[in-house]
Amino acid sequence: MKLTQSRHFKAFSEPLIQNNPVSMQMLGICSALAVTVQMKTAIVMALSLTFVLAFSNLTISSMRNIIPRNIRMIVELSVIATLVIIADQVLRAFFYDISKQLSVFVGLIITNCIVMGRAETFALGNSPGLSFLDGLGNGAGYGSVLISVALIRETLGAGKFLGVGIIPEFFYQAGYENMGFMQLAPAAFIIIGLLVWLQKTLVKN
Amino acid sequence: MSDNFKSALFALATAVICSLLLTAASSGLKPYQEENIEVDRKKNILKSIGLIEEGRAYTLGTITSMYAENITSMQIDAGGQAVEEGSVSETGLPIYLYTRDGSIKAYVLPINSRGLWGKIYGYLALESDGSTVSGFTVYQHSETPGLGGEIEKNWFQKNFKGKRIVDHEGNFVSIGIAKPATTAAMSEAEKANYVDGISGATLTGRFLSAGLKEILSEYEPVSIRFRSNEMLLVPQVPEAQEDGQ
Repeated sequence: MKLTQSRHFKAFSEPLIQNNPVSMQMLGICSALAVTVQMKTAIVMALSLTFVLAFSNLTISSMRNIIPRNIRMIVELSVIATLVIIADQVLRAFFYDISKQLSVFVGLIITNCIVMGRAETFALGNSPGLSFLDGLGNGAGYGSVLISVALIRETLGAGKFLGVGIIPEFFYQAGYENMGFMQLAPAAFIIIGLLVWLQKTLVKN
Repeated sequence: MSDNFKSALFALATAVICSLLLTAASSGLKPYQEENIEVDRKKNILKSIGLIEEGRAYTLGTITSMYAENITSMQIDAGGQAVEEGSVSETGLPIYLYTRDGSIKAYVLPINSRGLWGKIYGYLALESDGSTVSGFTVYQHSETPGLGGEIEKNWFQKNFKGKRIVDHEGNFVSIGIAKPATTAAMSEAEKANYVDGISGATLTGRFLSAGLKEILSEYEPVSIRFRSNEMLLVPQVPEAQEDGQ
């Protein structure tokens, strides 16, 4: 059996494009609007969510046969909340400036529907290894959308890439101006909308 | 064993394990976080007097050494005299002095104002003429992100630079935050006492204006001494008087 057809590979690769959590399932839009003004915050947010998602899937999947059914959601949420708080504390200790910029949004990963959604639909029914890969895949899928949106917003909105100016000075002298609109939340809506359109067209063909 | 009992036991076990993990993470990382908060506070003091540029990265070490070189932190009383640190005195006001070559260039007041959802903490720096604002920064607040939360952004804070806390006759009036529409109708002299507010954050502006006024009036005796050029050198803590002599 080829690698690309194994179940493990599929668990990781499907959420990247075909079943992307943001652009196909329309989950996690809120944070995608908020943290994509700059590339740096988008990358950190994507990494934090991937960490939480992969480990919550792993933990919940390893406990799936012993979790009592009537309190399974409470247990899932405790696991997710614990991981999110740990991620937040680590950011505060080592990436203080970024954690200030992300403000409440790291804490709000708890309510990100992708995390709870994957725990319920995937981790409860699959082995820990598969669930871990599914978490990584979904995190990467979420991250790829975030980074694409941030790339467009930061380049057009501030003329920068990762905080470094990339638009040559003579452009500005010739009358080029940064698009202030890209810095505002509605711009993210429009870009995500266009991405969804592009992706649905590509996947269909 | 009933199912309910099993569920309760499982929930308890989960809760205990989760809380142990959180306690470990929180207490293990605390020293790093506290250092970050302390450096961030120093960075804001340096930013308020214009020593740190927005958008440039500074290492922890640079900030600590810049702070040590330029800033003297002390308690001061209304007469401009230094009060010994740690002494229980109701007259002592905390102040940060920016000195260069032995003379005071600017002084920084800690801001602790009411906000819409919680306290706003920051610094207001005044130049040594005692009336011109040199800068304003916020390092901690709980205002609505995107609305009142914009007070932490550079575009809002840079409006403070060059504003005055006295009117054209030299009387104390504090500095206020006004709606852009209101400031447009003001005379040039009045404009010097107001900064443009944030749309959608009227209440944050109102609370912050009141807070700034309260703090500035508290420090007014010190500012008056600056205005009359009586505060050129860093005041020294008076020698403790010995008993029985």
